[in-house]
Parts: sequence; C-alpha cells; structure tokens
Amino acid sequence: MKFSFKGGIHPLKEQHEGKIPSREQAIKEFVAEKVLIPMDMHIGAPSEPCVKKGDKVLLGQVIATPVGKFGIPVHASVSGEVTGVVSFQQLGKKPSMCVEITSDGRDEWVELNPLGEVEAAPRERIIQQVKDAGICGLGGACFPTHIKMSPADNQKVDIVILNGAECETFLTADYRLMLEEPEHIVDGLRAIMRAMNVQKGIIAIEDNKKEAIRSMEQAVQGREGIRVVTLKTKYPQGGEKQLIESVTKRQVPSGGLPGDIGVAVFNVGTAAAIADAVIYGKPLVSRITTVTGCVRAPSNLRLRIGTSFQDAIDAAGGFSEEPGKVFAGGSMTGIAIPDTGVSVIKANNGIVVLNQKDAIKKPETSCIRCGRCIDACPIKLSPQRLNVLVDQADLSGAKKQHVMDCIVCGSCSYVCPAKIELCAKFKEAKEKITARRI
Amino acid sequence: MNLRLSTGPHFVSRESTQTLMLDVIIALIPTTAAGIYLFGTKAAWVLAAAVIAAVACEYIFQKLAKRPVRVTDLSAVVTGLLVGLNMPAEVPLWLPAIGSAIAILLVKELFGGIGHNFLNPALLARGILLASWPARMSVYFMPVRLLGNTSAIPAGVDAVSSATPLIRPGGYEIYDLLLGNIPGTIGEVCKIAILIGFLYMLFVGTIKWHIPVLFVGTVALITWITGGDVLKAVLSGGLLFGAVFMATDYVTNPMLFTGQVIFAIGCGVIVAVVRMTKAYPEGVTFAILLMNILTPLIDRMTSRKVYGTVKQHA
Repeated sequence: MKFSFKGGIHPLKEQHEGKIPSREQAIKEFVAEKVLIPMDMHIGAPSEPCVKKGDKVLLGQVIATPVGKFGIPVHASVSGEVTGVVSFQQLGKKPSMCVEITSDGRDEWVELNPLGEVEAAPRERIIQQVKDAGICGLGGACFPTHIKMSPADNQKVDIVILNGAECETFLTADYRLMLEEPEHIVDGLRAIMRAMNVQKGIIAIEDNKKEAIRSMEQAVQGREGIRVVTLKTKYPQGGEKQLIESVTKRQVPSGGLPGDIGVAVFNVGTAAAIADAVIYGKPLVSRITTVTGCVRAPSNLRLRIGTSFQDAIDAAGGFSEEPGKVFAGGSMTGIAIPDTGVSVIKANNGIVVLNQKDAIKKPETSCIRCGRCIDACPIKLSPQRLNVLVDQADLSGAKKQHVMDCIVCGSCSYVCPAKIELCAKFKEAKEKITARRI
Repeated sequence: MNLRLSTGPHFVSRESTQTLMLDVIIALIPTTAAGIYLFGTKAAWVLAAAVIAAVACEYIFQKLAKRPVRVTDLSAVVTGLLVGLNMPAEVPLWLPAIGSAIAILLVKELFGGIGHNFLNPALLARGILLASWPARMSVYFMPVRLLGNTSAIPAGVDAVSSATPLIRPGGYEIYDLLLGNIPGTIGEVCKIAILIGFLYMLFVGTIKWHIPVLFVGTVALITWITGGDVLKAVLSGGLLFGAVFMATDYVTNPMLFTGQVIFAIGCGVIVAVVRMTKAYPEGVTFAILLMNILTPLIDRMTSRKVYGTVKQHA
C-alpha cells in the first residue's frame, strides 16, 4: 500500500526529478581547508561565540554557547586555528556573526562524551546530549531538535515518523544515507523513541527510492515497533504536514504543531546525527549535501559545517558551464545565493548550479483561471483567489483566506501556465502580516 | 560571476497559456475538419474570416492601447475558431468577422484582456449575432457532403430554422446525428469529432471530465424524467459542442470543484427547460452565458476545507 495526501505535483517528472546525476554517487568525505561557521544556523537566538581570533580549537569543540530557550551550541567543524570572528552576509536578511577556522589538517577530536547503547541511556540524558551536540532539523527546517523531542505537557506523542521522502528535486543526500548507513538511522530513531517514550516508529520513503526502502527494511528487522512505509512519489510528500497526513491520516491543526495530534517528525539525516550524538558523543560537525546541476562531477559530499559553496562546488569538479544561478536546496524551495562565498549550514541538503539558460525567468502573463494551482495546493488553499487579494494589497482578506497556512512549497508557482510567482507573493504577504500584526 | 537571485521554484512546468491554447486548437481539429468536409469550402472561408478577424482585432487593439501584444498566446485563434464553428456555413463573410470583433474587442479586451472577461467571448458574440441577424444566424442547411453510408439527403434541399432535429423528432437517425449528416452550425454537427476533441483534452489534461459530463448528464436526466428521447436530446443542436468547448472555458467557469458542479448542472437545467418550453430553439448559448454571469457569485459562495481547519463558510 502506498501512503499519500491530496493535492501536490510531480515536478521535473520527465527528468526523474533531476536526481539521476547524483543518485548512484556514494557519499564522499570532503574536508575544507577553511570553514566559516555562522552562529545562526537554527531557528532561535544566534549562539554567542566563545572563541577569539588566534585560539586553537579541536574538532567538535564548542565555539559558541546557546542563547535563549531554543538555543543550541555551535562546534568547530575542523581542528585548527580561529582566524577570525566576523560578520558575513550569509542567506539571511542581515549579515550573520561567523567564526572562521583554518584547518590544521589533523582532524583532532575534542574529548567525547558517549552514552553508548541507546537502551542504557537515561531519557533526559539523551535529550541533553542532542542539545549539546548542536542538532537542529537537517531536512531544512533548522528547528532545534531537543525542543522537538520535549513536547509540551498537554501533548501526548504516540508516533515518531522519520522523513525519508526526499521529495525535493535534485537531492539525493537522504537517499544515499538510507542506502549506506541504515543502521545508523535506526539507532537514531530508537534514541528518539526512547527519549520521548514512544512505542511506534515509522520510516517513510517515496516509492521511487526502492533501494532505500529495501535497505531500511533490512535495518529495522527485529526492531519492535519500527516499520518502513512506502509513500507515493509526489511533491511535497516530505513536507511535515503532508507526511503526517499521508502516514497517519491526521491533520495538524491550523496554527498548531504536530505534537498537538501526537506526532513528531524528524528527518533521516537528523536521526543519524542523533545516533552520533547519543552513542558516540559526537557533535554535529558535518552533513551530507548533494552538489549537482552544472558541475563536472555531481556528488553526495559529507561536508564540514561552514564549508564555502565554492569549495563544495570545486569538490564536485567545479562548474561545467558558466553558472547563471546557484541555490541551496532543491529547485522547489531552494534559496538562491548571491555569491559562492556563503557557508554550508546544518540544514543545507543541496547545492544546485543552473546554467545561464535555465536561470532565465519566463515572462509572467495574466491569470486565465485554469485552476491548476487549486489542484496543486497540498493545503487546499485557493492560490488564484489569494493572488487577487495580495495584488489588491488586501492582507487581512488574504489572512481570512488562510494565507498563513501556506507552507510555501512552490507547487502553485510550478504549475501556473501564466508563470505568476504565486508562492513568492504569498511568502511576502505572510511576512508582512506577521510584521504588521494584521 | 553574476548569479541570478530569485525565490523558488527555480524550475517551473513547461505548460504555458500558449501550450494550453494550442491543445484546445488541436482538440478542435477533428471538428474543424469534419465541418469543412461536410459544408465544403464555404465553411473554410467562414472559419478563416473569423480567425483572421480575431487575431487582427487583438493585435490592433493591443498596439493602440499600448499593451503588450499577446497574440502569440493563441487565445485569439481559439476565440476566432469558436466564433466560426458556431455559425452556419451559409453566412456572408462579414458576419464571422463582426462576430470575432465583438468577441475580442467588446467582450475580451475592453474588460482587460485575457483572463478578465466574465463572459465567454465567442458565446456572447454568437448571442449578439443571433439577436442582430436572426435570419442569417439560424437558418441551417444540410451539409453538401455526407459522412458514411446514409440515407440522409445532402445540400440546400433541406433548410430548417431551428436547433436542427429538435423540431422534427425522429427525423434523423442516431447514425446521422453522430456523424453530422444533419443541418447545423459548422462545428456542432459532427458529434464524433467533438468527442474525439473531448477525449484529447482529457488525455492531455487541458480540462477535466466533470463540467461536460454533468452538463450533458443533467440534460439527459431531465429529458429522461420528462419522457423525452434521451439520445436525441444529447446529440441535438449545440449541446455537446457547448458542453465540451464553451462551458469548459477556464476564465468563465468557477474555480472550485463544487462551484464547477453547480455551474454544469445549472447549464444543463437551463438547456432542458428552454428546450421543453420551446420558447427558443436552442438554449445552450444562453444557458452557458447565464451561468457565466453567475460564476463570480458561485465562486464567492463556495469554499473548500483548508488543511487543518474546520470547514469555513465563505
């Protein structure tokens, strides 16, 4: 049986979602000579640097301490010398405080604090370990994982879902991880289930990743309460709300959280990072990123956090054509970067390079009310109607029509024959509504 | 390095207004071909006049109004073709030209161009022509050539002023109704060709099934309840052509599924009532136009349940 939700699209179907060039490439480790690590890789207050220029640091050493309730620490992703604590324009609206470390090439680990076997670890210790490892959602959400693992008192979580859908175009990082380190993912899931006292764990994978399904099914054998479910290949199957609907038939209430309906969702990459943190005591210093598009050797690279996009692209053979656009993530929700000097962050699952031709935007024409956006919207909004309201600057009207429920998945923009940038307009409207407290 | 910045999605579907219109044109090819075969070169000239006038009007208007010229989106070609297909073949060539001018200038461009008209341009043009030149618009002749092995008699012999076989039930065989061996407008007579176009549009996803099927289904149901000949009711006049090519016009039917269901059933009810009362020979044109007018209201009154919410009342 294939699980699915209503609505959605199948982007770049004829091109197999753009995944072909990188999907057979095994994960390769790449260590940059220099990393520039931002302090604001997670949602919540930026961490506070606790190192200064000239300090010697070990791999995994804390270089910034958490601030506020959602805060998590940041760790050195190479061993070497701090060569600067600087403000640098990353992908945010404002420049980010960053720590630059020049590697000594030795990769010398700081003293680690492993808990060993998952079943032996006390529940609170697991969550503390996850926080201390600086883990936030690796699927793109950047939400601090230890917060997700500590639901509010009124939330009774009974299902943990691992998101292995990887419905975004071009990305194969999670796919490779599921093929190459399935036990690691299952260990992470067991740690989450133990920490949250949940008996039911589900690993959800799209049906175009047959090998990954087989690999994960083998890894969960004999593990009580854990099973693999097959999802229909459809975008945004890996969107948290859609995944929950597909697997459990429950809907997250508007404005609410998955915990409200007893579900917690983690990316498979996050689960692997949790296993590292709990079993081996290793903080989050690297992640798997698919580097693809117009590069000579599309790859799935294990990159140190803070590696520059340029270094990552060079590690994938460099540009194969004059680049026209580079974005972090897949083509549906990826964020275009202004400059290849920006850093790979914890949530950075892909780097995609487009050539000049593909970077050209198609001209926008008038809405012909074809209704494709309505069929595509996985939240069942009426993008056409919202577009009219947003054009009239009627933000309170847009809010009444549930624009705040928009998950900014881009499905409506993708299918629009008039090439109207619906999703971008809704994103802007949402920001304005929040800023102006409409 | 000069990198382009934009929000996602960074790739979009290849479908455009132009490709959608092209698919409608392709879907109209069987109907057009059948019309030209049945009614001869006269029909070809009528269609050509309508299409050329539509494209020319749109081009000239957009130039004069200093708007971007969008004739390449092919929507004017579709409108022109529909205007022509909605006419008898025996009309003077200025009539389709005026029809297209009305459709493009009055109904479409004056309201803001593509996507902004609240009535189907080709249909309102037909309505206006019907009211202005009733004699020319509603005298239908038998085709000059017939399709298949039929006992029907071709050409000029049999001119009737009505929605063809409606006034003479039993006058034509189902076979002739399907193939188009009956008097009527250029596009409406050959039902087989219309159905091929319908299936093509379903197959490539231009339209969905429910508006044509519910529209025709409603007429069939009411005819059956009132004891009429269902098959002949369905295959007569412009019902099938209107249901497949006119009621499915994106711009002038409701956005949501429930709205489209209301729209289609409404069209069917009006056609059935008009036909029953015999107040007017053919109700399809005015049924669709009336429901076009109600579309903004239907849109306003229908809503669907947004993910994670309780059903809202719009």
